[in-house]
Amino acid sequence: MAKRKEGARPFAFFRAGARADAVSTAKPILVLEDVYKYFREDHPTLRGVNLVVERGEFCFVTGPSGAGKSTLLQLIYRKHTVDAGRILFCGRDIARLREKSIPFLRRNLGIVFQDFKVVRHWTVQENVAIALDILDMPRRLVRSRVGEALERVGLEGRGGERTENLSGGEMQRVAVARAIVTEPALILADEPTGNLDPHLAIDILTLFEEIHATGTTVLFATHDHSLIAKRNHRLISIDEGRVLEARQGLASWRSDAPPAPAEEPVTPADNPRPVLRPGLHAVS
Amino acid sequence: MELEAMMTRARRGLREERRLYVVAVSSLAVAFLSVGGALLAMQNLSRLADRWGQSARMTVYLAEGIEAADRTQLQITLESLPEVASLRHLSGAEAREEFLAHAEVDSSLAALPADAFPASFEVELAAGTAPARAATIAERVGELRGIDDIETYQGWHERLAALVRAGRGVAGALTFLVLLCVVAVIGNTIRLAVARRRDEIEVMKLCGATDRFVRGPFVLEGAFQGLLAAVLSVLVLMAAFAALRGAFDASLAALAGTRTVFLHPALLAAIILSGGLLGAAGSAVSLRRYLQV
Ligand SMILES: Nc1ncnc2c1ncn2[C@@H]1O[C@H](COP(=O)(O)OP(=O)(O)OP(=O)(O)O)[C@@H](O)[C@H]1O
Ligand SMILES: [Mg+2]
Repeated sequence: MAKRKEGARPFAFFRAGARADAVSTAKPILVLEDVYKYFREDHPTLRGVNLVVERGEFCFVTGPSGAGKSTLLQLIYRKHTVDAGRILFCGRDIARLREKSIPFLRRNLGIVFQDFKVVRHWTVQENVAIALDILDMPRRLVRSRVGEALERVGLEGRGGERTENLSGGEMQRVAVARAIVTEPALILADEPTGNLDPHLAIDILTLFEEIHATGTTVLFATHDHSLIAKRNHRLISIDEGRVLEARQGLASWRSDAPPAPAEEPVTPADNPRPVLRPGLHAVS
Repeated sequence: MELEAMMTRARRGLREERRLYVVAVSSLAVAFLSVGGALLAMQNLSRLADRWGQSARMTVYLAEGIEAADRTQLQITLESLPEVASLRHLSGAEAREEFLAHAEVDSSLAALPADAFPASFEVELAAGTAPARAATIAERVGELRGIDDIETYQGWHERLAALVRAGRGVAGALTFLVLLCVVAVIGNTIRLAVARRRDEIEVMKLCGATDRFVRGPFVLEGAFQGLLAAVLSVLVLMAAFAALRGAFDASLAALAGTRTVFLHPALLAAIILSGGLLGAAGSAVSLRRYLQV
């Protein structure tokens, strides 16, 4: 890779007050170049992963248990650091981010987990608002944005309830609302339907598709084949730490890999919800 | 403001962990109270010592059967000394009466014979006369005729001064101990609070919270506990002082003509402030060890 000169502060984008420039907006949102991750010396969890995710894509990430799906996502939100290779988020190498800048990377991501990771003794409102409190947003704006996000996940008017009284599906909706309330550029979902029954799983998937329809890029890790089979999204399959593209999405179309037929295609035109402005956060 | 969000979370933390924090605050209040009590005792003791050191007195006991002429000569000599501020002659009978009046006695003492006390000159030295100078004067006066003994009270003063020095050492050690205790108690309490709020810390970090944002409320909670404990200890100390000063004042007035005094407001403010600072420090130390952000 040729070294690019990006000025004295290559990660200024992730810092408070930085704005996304035209160049970074044109780049793929996520590029993995020859990424290796070792948790054990003799056995890499990820070995030579190359991957390009374009802006506005919806990708399933799949593979058997222990394949490295979670690890892949964790590298993107810098829970771990790559051992070799690069991960470019909006053109910036996140492996080279200083510890201090990691929060500013995460403010541009929405992360959803299998175990929801909601604070059970907080209210629904508080669980969603925390993402905006961190951005130091004024109270009034927080209230209206949280209301909007709860409406999008189908929990309108339930902000005052204690989260532990909610059902599993509802808790996951709270987590999704928290992930989208900041209007991040990229959503990382690590088996978000893993703890839900099949009927609820479809609901949550549809919710992510609605969010995707507003222009947000989504990486959706799952090993639920019935879920994958129902949709025609790009499929990134990981096995033994290597990425195999089983089904290509729009951006990286190849003639030798025809897309599987979609049973319930969801397109932006089908989505009646108002289009928010997802994208890069300039945190102030 | 970010601070506002931190305050809100700190208030919530105090509310949710109140049982934990009540235990911490009450044990810290006891610790602060012991320091406050030691300081109060030291302050009054050293005031007493100062007072005795300043108002040097001596009692010149006259020999039994001293001639009236010798006594007058002695009085003139003593009065001529520049250090002598005032002089009072006390006959044996007068000394006995004075003793009986002060000692709130039972009747067995009242049966003391009239000549139980020797006649004396009560000499008041000028304010600021150094104890060493008083000793030289006593030595010189002691050579005059008709004198039985001279009491300069220097031994007493030395003993009191030694007591004050020892007391200062004890108070210093106690303060240091309490300092450690506050940092340890608050640190431990905050460690528990961090463990209990592990899930919300994780959520905040995943949402992009900075170290400052995550730690700030815990530091505020620690500071508040320290502050509250210090304020409580000052209030208890005030109440105890008000209740007990009467008993001490009577004997102190008789002994040295002083009254007990409470700690200076500036010192009280310093105790309260250091409570808050120590609380914040204890919390920060604990967070550094137990909260990897
Ligand atoms: N923090 C870690 N320390 C050590 N080993 C790890 C760590 N995280 C993951 N691994 C190892 O890396 C491998 C991949 O784990 P990962 O969680 O990414 O799998 P996965 O594809 O998400 O599996 P699942 O479908 O069960 O969630 C596993 O063998 C796991 O033991
Ligand atoms: Mg996993």
